[in-house]
Amino acid sequence: MIRLGVPILLSTVLIPFVGSALLPLLDKKMGKNVAKIAIALLMYPLVVIAALLFLYHNETLIDPVYFSDPRLGNFSMLLDPLSMPLAFSIALVPAFVAIYSIPYMEHRFEELEREGEKTSWGLYYMLFIMFASAMLGTTLSTNTVEFYLFLELTLIPSFLLIAFYGYGDRIRIALMYLIWTHVGALLFLIGAMTLGYNVGTFDFFDPATGEALKGLGERLPEAFRLTVTLVLSLGLFVKMAVFGVHIWLPYAHAEAPTPVSALLSPNLIGIAAYALVRIVYIMFPTTFSSIALPLLGLAILTMVYGGLMVLAQDDFKRLLAYSSISQMGYLLLGVASITPLGICGAMLHYMAHAVGKAILFMVAGILIVTVHTRKLSHLGGLAAKMPLTFALALIGFMHITGVPPSLGLWSEVLIVVGAVQRAFEAGNIVFIGLVIGLLVAIGLSTAYSFITIRKIFFGSLPEELHIHKASSTLLISVAAIAAVGIFFFLYPSILIDPLVELISGL
Amino acid sequence: MGAEYAYAAWAIPYIGAALVLALYRTSRKIRETIAVGALLASAIFSTLTFLAVVEGETPLHYSIKWVESLDVTLGVYVDGLSATMSLVVAWLSFLIGFYSIKYMEHDPDITRYWFFFDFFVGSMQLLVLADNLLLMFIGWEGTGLASYSLIGFWYKDEEEKWVGDPGRTALGIPMFFQPSHSGVRAIVFTRLGDVGLLAGIGLIYALTGTLLIPEVAEKMPHVFAPLGARGLLYLFLLIFSLGALAKSAQFPFHEWLVTAMTGPTSVSALIHAATMVKAGVFFMLRFAPMFYETFHKTGIGHEAVTQYFYTIALIGGFTAFFMATQALVSRELKLILAFSTASQLGYMFLAIGSAGLLKEFVLGFVASFSHLMGHALFKATLFLAAGAIIHAVESRFIDDMGGLLKYMKYTFMAMFLAVLSLSGVPPLLGFWSKDAVLEAAYESHYQILYLLGLITAGLTAFYSLRMVFRVFDWELSKHVKHLIHEGHLHEAHPIMLSPYFILAILTLGMGLLWPTVFPEYAEILTKGVPGIEKVEFHAPHINVELTFQSLGLVAFGYLIAYILYGRKLDYKLLELLNTKKWAKAIHDILYDRWYLNSVYYLVFVKGGLIFARTLHDTLNLFVDSLYHKVLPALFSSSSKFFSKTLEIAVDKGYNVAVPSIFTSTSSSLFKILEQKVIDSGFNVKLVESILESGRALRKTQIGRINYYLAFFFAFLVVLAIVVFWVI
Repeated sequence: MIRLGVPILLSTVLIPFVGSALLPLLDKKMGKNVAKIAIALLMYPLVVIAALLFLYHNETLIDPVYFSDPRLGNFSMLLDPLSMPLAFSIALVPAFVAIYSIPYMEHRFEELEREGEKTSWGLYYMLFIMFASAMLGTTLSTNTVEFYLFLELTLIPSFLLIAFYGYGDRIRIALMYLIWTHVGALLFLIGAMTLGYNVGTFDFFDPATGEALKGLGERLPEAFRLTVTLVLSLGLFVKMAVFGVHIWLPYAHAEAPTPVSALLSPNLIGIAAYALVRIVYIMFPTTFSSIALPLLGLAILTMVYGGLMVLAQDDFKRLLAYSSISQMGYLLLGVASITPLGICGAMLHYMAHAVGKAILFMVAGILIVTVHTRKLSHLGGLAAKMPLTFALALIGFMHITGVPPSLGLWSEVLIVVGAVQRAFEAGNIVFIGLVIGLLVAIGLSTAYSFITIRKIFFGSLPEELHIHKASSTLLISVAAIAAVGIFFFLYPSILIDPLVELISGL
Repeated sequence: MGAEYAYAAWAIPYIGAALVLALYRTSRKIRETIAVGALLASAIFSTLTFLAVVEGETPLHYSIKWVESLDVTLGVYVDGLSATMSLVVAWLSFLIGFYSIKYMEHDPDITRYWFFFDFFVGSMQLLVLADNLLLMFIGWEGTGLASYSLIGFWYKDEEEKWVGDPGRTALGIPMFFQPSHSGVRAIVFTRLGDVGLLAGIGLIYALTGTLLIPEVAEKMPHVFAPLGARGLLYLFLLIFSLGALAKSAQFPFHEWLVTAMTGPTSVSALIHAATMVKAGVFFMLRFAPMFYETFHKTGIGHEAVTQYFYTIALIGGFTAFFMATQALVSRELKLILAFSTASQLGYMFLAIGSAGLLKEFVLGFVASFSHLMGHALFKATLFLAAGAIIHAVESRFIDDMGGLLKYMKYTFMAMFLAVLSLSGVPPLLGFWSKDAVLEAAYESHYQILYLLGLITAGLTAFYSLRMVFRVFDWELSKHVKHLIHEGHLHEAHPIMLSPYFILAILTLGMGLLWPTVFPEYAEILTKGVPGIEKVEFHAPHINVELTFQSLGLVAFGYLIAYILYGRKLDYKLLELLNTKKWAKAIHDILYDRWYLNSVYYLVFVKGGLIFARTLHDTLNLFVDSLYHKVLPALFSSSSKFFSKTLEIAVDKGYNVAVPSIFTSTSSSLFKILEQKVIDSGFNVKLVESILESGRALRKTQIGRINYYLAFFFAFLVVLAIVVFWVI
């Protein structure tokens, strides 16, 4: 454990957040050039967190407490191996998506201006950065109220980004997104309140001792425990779009402006899986374990259902959105296994999915810019014309299906190993059921990934397809993210080993 | 020493692949040289590794830590099995790579080709040499990715790259496959099995706490005991082997291999001879001995393990037979060879499965590997030769061939030797290995296993010779006549010819030497292999009865082929068969692959898609409309209702009743308070009283000085009194 003398972690959230408020003011003077400042602001957390990853990956880093209240507990920030994959992903993806946004949003702004809408680079980047920074804040939080506040802070900028710059029926979809995720957040808040008032603190991590407050929730009267666990979990399931409460996601993630989709889909929703471990499991270890088996089933159901829905899609972005639902099933599977390897796999898969799905949404954006369509039935044969885009899409899909050399291999292996361990302990029928479920679910993921690649990139080029030239900035920013995914395939121990050790010690 | 060589053997092809990619802008020659050079280097290091194993004592094992918490190492484990396997893989890959230089001469996408080619070989070497289950799995998955990319290499899907008759359907399902389609099939089929393999690895790790192959071998009882106690052992063994069954295209996973012909022929040779499909057999050779040894030593799960080995043998035997039947009628040169590969892989599974049923496991083990090696040699020859033929004839259909003997003599010689080896004619290598397989099946005492193997031998002989006749003998097809007329038909280029010629000679030479080298070979092969006990090997003994039976069937197959296709005088019998309805029906069943492909597509692809769409249009729509239509409608209608009822009441209450109360109160208050009290009070009475007091005061202000002074002094007096009083 390392106590930081200065609030370095807080600064990775606050500096971009506060700095971004200046961007709209600079809008008139600088126009598109505000992007440079925005990128610089987002590079700061990336550089800091990457440095912390390479220097202190075994450590738990704690900021000084920056707010304390006898009723609410302590607001501090924490970066440990559990939050590292998330924090790093959230530092990584927005930074490069911000670069990608320059040519992409230029294209989108032109479209919007033709529709007679006002556009503003400053506003766009302000909201974008606020969204990203707030997400980072959630993963670094040590307190449920703090977590909730950051969660709410992610909501408003992302809502506005969809409403201002989205596609289709964007106002309605933005509202839908706002209401849905709010419902989820509120359910979580109800659970958190009940918990916090009854146990006397809202902390889930004690910055003073540097330890997780494991089992704190089980001080609640027994009659409450299960209900509170369920309410907290349900709230997070809505955020995560688990089967049954998933229906908002395809709308929001498909119609959000593509750079925002690249943040929403992998980064935002996966935070719920992290909170499931960091807050729900830590607070209610025994209660959560008692519902683990049904959750295992729910996870498989989500994987299979999402995969099936992907097969029924023709819109590439909507397809990716459904794929995200399926991928959340993978995360839930790892978490519900409640084994060190499974949980580690889930957190690692957050990162693999962040890399993979960001790449894929960005590829979808490249298609929007170059061929002006996202309908698979209109696409085909693009590999010859856009070989690099094709290669990147392949790497993206490799991440979400766990094909080496991608980080996805490790996460998939860990999740499967964890789930198998748990199912084997649970009995023959659960074990056999799990293996069959995995066969179907991973089979579906593989099938839809490679079928989609075929539909977009292989076969003959449709005659009516005109390919406009893509800016190389688009490709370079995607390639940078892809390179990170491959790098961590080669060097996964920096993430896995400390994380498994941490969870085993819990 | 030795372990370093093994590292180099798998790492160099990967490095080669990366270099080819990095140097994509350099000349073609440079990239080719790097790619093939890497293959050669890998082959040399494999040889050095092999020699180290031959000379050294224990298995070579060296590990570097990679992911400690998962016990994953970046290590090599070389015993007789992996050394020999690596040797076969590396040299075949190099020869095929060398051949590719010419074969891919005119292809523009050379970077992608060589990248995945070298990646493929590196992955195969990795899975063979890895000391760790997960590292092996990574190589395993790497071969999957590479095969996907290379099978679908010509992703533009031009018709001449397809496999199957364009336009043909069976049960309404198309029976022709574009390269990009075949690629998807390959990766989906094989990855289904890989899930089983991964689940198996997970369970082994959970139960033994290790992934190191030698340690897993030692701790296998820890896996067997709990599984045996819970009655899961048989199922677990099957799940664990699922990856191998899929990779090696065993029934019911065989379909992907059949259509994998859409890649360049050199890739087919690579997949069939050296990499990919052999991985499954290698896996079985690696783990079956451990299973066998464990139940023999501990006695746990006798029934389950026997049942498992029987299942594997039966799957192998059935696949051998099943795929051979489909080769009988195929019209595509490469397709015949593909069916043949799946069938021959069936033999290898038959051997290793039977091994588990024998008293001497090692006999089946050696038979299985020998057949793997023999098959690798002759199948590489056949594919490379077929590539040369297709290259020359510019058609994949044997109908467009015929009479090529005169024009491609050397190719014929190579192919004929390979065909003899494939059919199991002495003294070629294929004879020895197939005989050993059949003997293992026979010794298992399950007659069905032996029978399947035996019948397959006859079928194999028939389709191999049919192929030779149709390609080299037979009457010249119009297409060939046209090519001759144009002066296009010629022998293959030496760069293409030499690899398969060398391989053909090798299959003959090794066959001739087999009886003398066998004991030493078998000893090296089994050296240090976990689960294999050391035994004394002798020259292969020939069971006269069995050999007689198998050779009899081979002769019978040849005879039928000769009668139908070999007599140039007339093909009356064949024509007669063509007119018979029953013959046509059998032909169609075989030609359409027993309709199994169609059934898969109807059930899984079409069925799955319909299921997905229906689910999307029903459940998803239901959930969607529940949340986004029904609930909002409920809210909006209730809001309308309340706005009409409660809201109006409230509205009236607040905006009418309350204000009216206020107004009436205020007006009455106004009347009472305002008018009577305040108005009259302030405005009348107060004014009046002020006026009154003003009037009174005015009386004092009359302008006289003495009055003022009197007042002044009086004031002073009062002030003084007050002041003194206080003090």
